[in-house]
Amino acid sequence: MLKAKSSLGVIFFPAYDWAISETHPEREERLLYTQDQFREEGLFDIEGITEYRPLRATDQDILRTHFCFPSVDGICTESHRISAGGAIQAARLVLERETQHAFALVRPPGHHAMKVVQGNRGFCNINIEAVMVEWIREHYGQKRIAIVDTDCHHGDGTQDVYWHDPDVLFISLHQDGRTLYPGSGFPNENGGPRALGRTMNIPLPPNTSDEGYLHALEQVVLPILADFKPDLVINSAGQDNHYSDPITNMCFSAQGYARLNEMLKPDIAVLEGGYSIKGALPYVNLGICLAMAGCDYSAVLEPDFNPEQLREEPDTMNYIKRLCRQLPDLYFYPKPGAYEKEGRYFIRERDIYYDTDNITEKQREELKDCDDCSGIRIIKSSTHRTGSCLGIELPWNCCPACEKEGYERFKRKNDGFQIVQMLDRKNKQYVYRP
Amino acid sequence: MRIGIDIGGTHTDGVLIDGDRLIAAAKTPTFSDNLLESISQVLRSILSGQDPGKVSTINLSTTLNTNAIVTGRIEKVGVLVVGGPGIAPETYRIGEHFHLIPGSLDHLGTETTPLDMDRLQAAVADCAGKGVKSFAVVGKFSPRNPSQENTIREHLGNRADFVSSGHLLSGQLNFGRRIHTAYYNSAVWRAFRAFSTALQESLLKFNIRADVNILKADGGTMPLLRALESPVVSIFSGPAASVMGILAMEPTDSDILMLDIGGTTTDIALFAAGQPLLEREGISIDGRPTLVRAIHVESIGIGGDSLIQVEQGVVLVGPQRLGPCMARGGSAPTLMDALNVLELVEFGNSRNSIMGIEELANRHGIPGRQLARDVVDTAINAISTRIDSLITQVNSKPVYTIQEILEDRPITPSKLIVIGGPAVVFRELLQTSLGMEVVIPPLHGVANAIGAALTRSTAQLVLTADTARGKVSIPRLEIFRSVPRSYTLETAINEAKSLLIGDLEQAGVRISAEEVQITQADSFNIVEDFYTTGRNIRVVAQVQPAVTVLLDKVNAGIRIDSGPERQLL
Ligand SMILES: [Zn+2]
Ligand SMILES: [Zn+2]
Repeated sequence: MLKAKSSLGVIFFPAYDWAISETHPEREERLLYTQDQFREEGLFDIEGITEYRPLRATDQDILRTHFCFPSVDGICTESHRISAGGAIQAARLVLERETQHAFALVRPPGHHAMKVVQGNRGFCNINIEAVMVEWIREHYGQKRIAIVDTDCHHGDGTQDVYWHDPDVLFISLHQDGRTLYPGSGFPNENGGPRALGRTMNIPLPPNTSDEGYLHALEQVVLPILADFKPDLVINSAGQDNHYSDPITNMCFSAQGYARLNEMLKPDIAVLEGGYSIKGALPYVNLGICLAMAGCDYSAVLEPDFNPEQLREEPDTMNYIKRLCRQLPDLYFYPKPGAYEKEGRYFIRERDIYYDTDNITEKQREELKDCDDCSGIRIIKSSTHRTGSCLGIELPWNCCPACEKEGYERFKRKNDGFQIVQMLDRKNKQYVYRP
Repeated sequence: MRIGIDIGGTHTDGVLIDGDRLIAAAKTPTFSDNLLESISQVLRSILSGQDPGKVSTINLSTTLNTNAIVTGRIEKVGVLVVGGPGIAPETYRIGEHFHLIPGSLDHLGTETTPLDMDRLQAAVADCAGKGVKSFAVVGKFSPRNPSQENTIREHLGNRADFVSSGHLLSGQLNFGRRIHTAYYNSAVWRAFRAFSTALQESLLKFNIRADVNILKADGGTMPLLRALESPVVSIFSGPAASVMGILAMEPTDSDILMLDIGGTTTDIALFAAGQPLLEREGISIDGRPTLVRAIHVESIGIGGDSLIQVEQGVVLVGPQRLGPCMARGGSAPTLMDALNVLELVEFGNSRNSIMGIEELANRHGIPGRQLARDVVDTAINAISTRIDSLITQVNSKPVYTIQEILEDRPITPSKLIVIGGPAVVFRELLQTSLGMEVVIPPLHGVANAIGAALTRSTAQLVLTADTARGKVSIPRLEIFRSVPRSYTLETAINEAKSLLIGDLEQAGVRISAEEVQITQADSFNIVEDFYTTGRNIRVVAQVQPAVTVLLDKVNAGIRIDSGPERQLL
């Protein structure tokens, strides 16, 4: 019988009773054929690969990560809590050393959910990786964490959550935003003024296949990880780069995904997108599990796999090589962007569109350029649904001045905000103004 | 009247039951090279003074196939495997005649590579040249589409005395387990058939013309004729018989634990709301997981005869057994001797126990009573640790729907039923250390035979339908036919129920529709390009292990005839 070289915990939660809508790609049967493949292959009979059930993320787990307007229940359902709870279970397994690696095969996904949540964006409500990372920090201390997002879509939500965080390195490999939702993820998006270079974007041209992806991994991702020296590597393992995916234009294969995980060696992988539920997911998920467990995956092949046909055109490959020569500089020698500043505060003003719910959020963010801590962050957010909302974030290393300022803002009366949430990482207080 | 017989590793137990009343019970040694003799001795005892013509049913639990497999005394089997992409089928290589035949299906059952007939011919010729007459034929995803397995079977024709086809053994997916199951099934078939013929002749000599059923690992029975097709399902029926005995003697609707303490091992079983828990996929034998449905029983290497050792100041109890305890003439002290020293039991020659324990204690410079105390603590701790981990494991089993997570009720047993030889001795020790009510049923020494006598048939059936492709499959019954697009989940459930009832009826077993349990009933929209094109329906129907009647406790005081040599029961 097969034996895993390194133990792997798999949290398999297909949520067979939940869908966005009847014919939406994010629906009940999404992991059905993956489960058939796992069962037939006897994945959980491999010594060292064990199946676990998800935990359930609590209000506190979500409120320490997001500003939820109007409330936690107002923006997410049981399914989102359990999906995030699956990611938390994966983290718990690894940090408690119950298994060496863990893969949360859960749905719905989360990487388009930003710091402020007012609704559903790109099939995501809460950012399950971010909820997991904040859970890790709350229970195991401020770690250095690298999140490598290999979903075909730019991980704009995760990028937003960690934009100002120098302890989290976020790297996204995705189909070029000029050709795919959400239309962002360009190299010049490389972190906030106090976390320069800690966000890295690798936009790959349509029709990139195994060679191109693995080239970017080898030339850009791995050298940066070697320098950053994270305590944990997390893979946001979207599977919509697959050549058979119905909503994207890439040419990645199950072999490529498996090799990617073998090279990246993530401590934790979390499923994101991937909607070729019959032609890709059964093989890609099997390949990832085997690679993470150090088992032979060489025969995990889609029935219609034809590497010659999928191979990149020389032009595409040349483009990727050129891009990958330039990108590492953005991490090693980041150039400050043109940040707007009012007094001691960095200012960002944006409109954020929630495609599934058709809401537009107006947002203004103020980050204090504090010498004594990472700086208090104030976010003013409004939509036609919730009115004016205020989020106050105090960092884990918050200085007394920022703390005082935060609580003064929080306790203020008649300031015109309908909903005010305090996210105090120093004192672990995650509450709404009564 | 019903007879239940459990042929165990050391003892063969038998009971005669009339309605709900126990008439006679007997215990005899198991003669491993002559099981029929053990059966005859038990029958002679329990039928003395009875009319054998009134026996309507004999249920037999036997270690025949289990022993044949674990000792390797099995027939050579030609294993013809169609693998395809995925985990290498080489992983499941079993036996001396394992052949991979190129060909493949995908998870929907679509043929993605045709069967390589040349390689098949070569493999069959190779087997024939080596005198192989028994075969196992298994393809990856064959429950979705049996055509490649069927082609191989046809090709074998009369070159095979017996063929186990993977898809007929179980509708559940698991390629490796399917290979192991089919292999063992073919490996024990001939010997089991010989046993079955001899058994029937022997019953005729007793003037018994009863229905003969064989016990399965899931605690249910199957008619002997059916067992000839799938003898492998009779492995590990012994512990299952004991569990069924509990259901007949101590029925409950709460969470309870069963402990069957023997000479070398203790078996632990968990009942959730009074129902014994089944293995998720199937039981393992000889280190190989199978698809044989089974009651989940954990075995721990601690029993009355477990050897005591002291290594670097640490007291070890079991899993070795050198022989009986010193109180009964053994040469090294065991757990039972320690209990004797502590006067928790008065068993055999306790002077020998004291001598043995004192001698071992002296060698390690500790007082004898303290060693005895440590031994008992170690044993009880090991059992209670295993019980805790079993409960944790069961409570953390994976679930797949939000509903299940929200409705989840943790299993918290508060009562322990102890059976087996040394059961009485452990009552108070377990009560104190586990904080549970401990019950020792009267007649616990033949709980296994009572369970065998009173259990009924079990069966399971897996139905998969894909209305977009217009197909329904029920592999175990060899049903693969087309369905209209209007086929619904409700139709599927009804079909599964009536097919299961019909299948059992064909085997001579009558059950009502209410007794069929639906353990899975899912229907998924199949969406292609954002349009719903059909439904993917999954139904699993089963008849749960259950007893036909509860034993009347009036006769609990009946004497168990254990022959001239009085044994500890
Ligand atoms: Zn995506
Ligand atoms: Zn500060």
